[in-house]
Amino acid sequence: MAYNNNRVSKWLISGPPLLYLILFFAIPTLIMAFAAFRFPGDYGGLLPLVGTNDAGATALLVNSENWRDYLTLENFGRFFDDPIYIELFVKSFWYAGITTLSCLVLAYPLAWLIARSPKKYRDLLVLLVILPFWSNFLIRVYAWMIILGPQGYLARAANGVLALFGVGPVQILFSHFAVIVVLVYVHLPFMVLPLYANLEKHDMNLLDAAQDLGANTWQRFWRITWPLSLPGVFAGAALVFIPALGMFAVPDLVGGTDGFMIGNLIKQQFLDSRDWPFGSVLSIMLTLAVLLLAAIAGWLGRGGKRDAL
Amino acid sequence: MHFKQNKVLWAIAGLVYAFLYLPLLIVVIYSFNDSRLNAEWVGFTLHWYHVLFADEQMLSAARNSLVIALITSGIATFLGTMAGLAMYKYKLRLLPVLVLTPIAIPEILMGLSLLVFFVTLNFTMGFVSITLAHIAFCIGFVAIVVRARLQGMDEALVEAARDLGATPFNAFRLITLPLIMPGIVAGALMAFTLSIDDFVITYFTAGAGATTLPLQIYSMLKIAVTPEVNAISSLLMLLTLALIFIAGKLAPGALHAE
Amino acid sequence: MKKLLLALLVAAGAAHAEDVLHLYNWNNYLAPETVKRFEAECKCKVVQDYYGAMEEMLAKLSAGAKGYDVVVPTGFAIPPLVKQNLVQPLDKAKLPNLKNVDAGFMNSPFDEGNKFSVPYAFTTTLVGYNDAKIKELGLDPASWAIIFDPAVLAKIKGKVTVLDDSRELFAAALMYNGFSANSTNPEEWAKAKETILKAKPFWAAFNTQSYIKELTLGNIWVAHGYSSDMFQANLDAKAAKRKFGIGYVLQKEGNTLSLDSVMVLKSAPRPDLAYKFINFMLDGKNSSELTNMIGSGNPNAASAQFVQPDIKKISAVFPDAEAKKKLVQLSALEGKPLRELNKLWTQVKTAKKK
Repeated sequence: MAYNNNRVSKWLISGPPLLYLILFFAIPTLIMAFAAFRFPGDYGGLLPLVGTNDAGATALLVNSENWRDYLTLENFGRFFDDPIYIELFVKSFWYAGITTLSCLVLAYPLAWLIARSPKKYRDLLVLLVILPFWSNFLIRVYAWMIILGPQGYLARAANGVLALFGVGPVQILFSHFAVIVVLVYVHLPFMVLPLYANLEKHDMNLLDAAQDLGANTWQRFWRITWPLSLPGVFAGAALVFIPALGMFAVPDLVGGTDGFMIGNLIKQQFLDSRDWPFGSVLSIMLTLAVLLLAAIAGWLGRGGKRDAL
Repeated sequence: MHFKQNKVLWAIAGLVYAFLYLPLLIVVIYSFNDSRLNAEWVGFTLHWYHVLFADEQMLSAARNSLVIALITSGIATFLGTMAGLAMYKYKLRLLPVLVLTPIAIPEILMGLSLLVFFVTLNFTMGFVSITLAHIAFCIGFVAIVVRARLQGMDEALVEAARDLGATPFNAFRLITLPLIMPGIVAGALMAFTLSIDDFVITYFTAGAGATTLPLQIYSMLKIAVTPEVNAISSLLMLLTLALIFIAGKLAPGALHAE
Repeated sequence: MKKLLLALLVAAGAAHAEDVLHLYNWNNYLAPETVKRFEAECKCKVVQDYYGAMEEMLAKLSAGAKGYDVVVPTGFAIPPLVKQNLVQPLDKAKLPNLKNVDAGFMNSPFDEGNKFSVPYAFTTTLVGYNDAKIKELGLDPASWAIIFDPAVLAKIKGKVTVLDDSRELFAAALMYNGFSANSTNPEEWAKAKETILKAKPFWAAFNTQSYIKELTLGNIWVAHGYSSDMFQANLDAKAAKRKFGIGYVLQKEGNTLSLDSVMVLKSAPRPDLAYKFINFMLDGKNSSELTNMIGSGNPNAASAQFVQPDIKKISAVFPDAEAKKKLVQLSALEGKPLRELNKLWTQVKTAKKK
């Protein structure tokens, strides 16, 4: 009886989101992911599998004899043929990693303070974190281009200081540094909010008890707050790392000649080169890499929790 | 907690807020800038607000964006909360993957996929197709935050309520829901933000004549993104803020974890 | 919520009931006053949807997007649209004003006999520059050396941007090396790639989107870009009362010419309005309004008398017969060569700074 009830409520709760995601995400995406095994059309799109046959009727063109002309693994081969693609993956993971770490360092104290502030201010402080992100993305990046540009105050101040040491002016805009700054900025709220949501529920009595037992501030943080907040850290890291990985607009706008990332490469396949199959291969590889990483993180996370308990 | 150490933390938090608001300050200030370039300060003007109020296309694009973002965040929060609860309570295999993949998959592939999908179904593209697509990529964000809120939560309260004879629904409504509310609110805010700012997926799922603000603005990139965009951005922020405050007044406590 | 969705559905449906022409176009590529007069004449409404890049438009139409009547592709995008069966052949009887088009712009290799397309406007791809700085440094902007020769670039390091477009940049590098812009010879491509990689460390960015602004601000001194954008940059520099202007000239090694054409989509809901619009735009005065607004080249012979004299004087916008000989339209790349270029481009983009 209890088991049965559990089954019913399980489907009641997980059914609607599952159905929605299958219908409006999984099915459409699988159609396109299948493109990875097909040939590109000569003029863009894909080599059609359905078309007019010799008799002039619409029919499936592919059959058991000619399927090799329509289906292939060659697109995956291309990915491994040239080390460029793997190198680009490594570079993008590196950038996304730095972005995630920087976001965590900036977001943690802020989220912790908001969670500990008086209840009546909490919502306002949370709102203030996300408010700037309701202005348009492009305009925000433009604002950074003004701040980092050669005429901007930041660049002028930095170069003024450098000049004192006899170092020539450095370019801030169109550099790796600019890409990281803007990536951190764009993703920061997606770290603060999950952290806040998690930290907000922590039981202050635990910390007080620890203090009574003579634990100092750092001990209390490392032994109690940090382990308890790990689910929030993992959630925030996922919501920053994954989107940062596929970002192409930021490197495009502020990255200069070295700002080419995996997201730019994928965009190039689908648009400029009209090579949807290879674009799909790259997308599948990226998604698999992320899922693998998530599985590892989940496994480590479970281990971490066991230690904390 | 010691005040002294809070002071250091507040200083860091202040710097982070400054980091968040420095670009926004420029966005707002430059909406009053007497230059087409959006790049250097020339002088004060209200010109761009006049331009904006005469620009029917920009205003309707902003209206569309706001409506789509509101509907999206409503539905995505509802479905995402269910997904977060389900992932926390039950050992599921498919749902966690389906929740994470829309975030991981390159937007351009998802946009093209949905376009092909809608075309195959002979679905007329427009607001509905955009909204359906936005919900699909927002669910994951909400689900992940809600689950992070639930993890490590004290189950004893819910069990106590059940022992006292509360139905599962009542136990959820009276105990679980208020407890996870901050997670839900955080998720809703993220969904709204993602929807109102999305370009790639919107581009592919928009039909003829259905423009959103990001679509309108990206098309200006080549010529010049004029301060008119700063003006509409500033106003949209004010409007959203006002909407939230009105909602807070009408339903006090809706945002709070009681 | 459901009611709201329903209301939106109804609203979306209602918009199609009246007479509406759906134009799929670049932003700022049709003068507002022209739209107004056309709307009055056809008693219909013009709704424009914009794309930011030709490739975005192609991807969207390839995937099957419908609802648009008229689209405005650049030459090399015409064959993909035709071959994928996305556009319809034109009924010339409905376009009496077609006679206004300069014969030199008809019969392009992309659409022999103009079965599907009608020329709309053109730009040239060239070098735009900060005239004060270039004079001060004594550089010659009339050669592609200014963006490719390391000896020249050493004086303007970090002050140069090139187009983030594989076709355009390779075409320029090919012409700089004395090859045809449309070469697909692997050896010549390798040479062009070499040229690009040697010059890359001196460039600030690959930039298709904000070089107008950067030039006007003085952040960038030399930009590889489109003539109409340089026209805009010069206007902006004047409006901002700069001490410099933005000059732009054709390069002696040759330049590419992008001819944009109008086409009627096969799935057009209102082909009747589409024909009315195209014929309207072929009228000399209507056509001149775009040129006067953005400084685009005009393939319409009847428009000449309406174009502002100071625009007609600019040789990069209205090239003389001699200059016209050195202008090339980029051919449509398909299949293998396109993928080969894609690979070269990825190598160029990922090459590390030395």
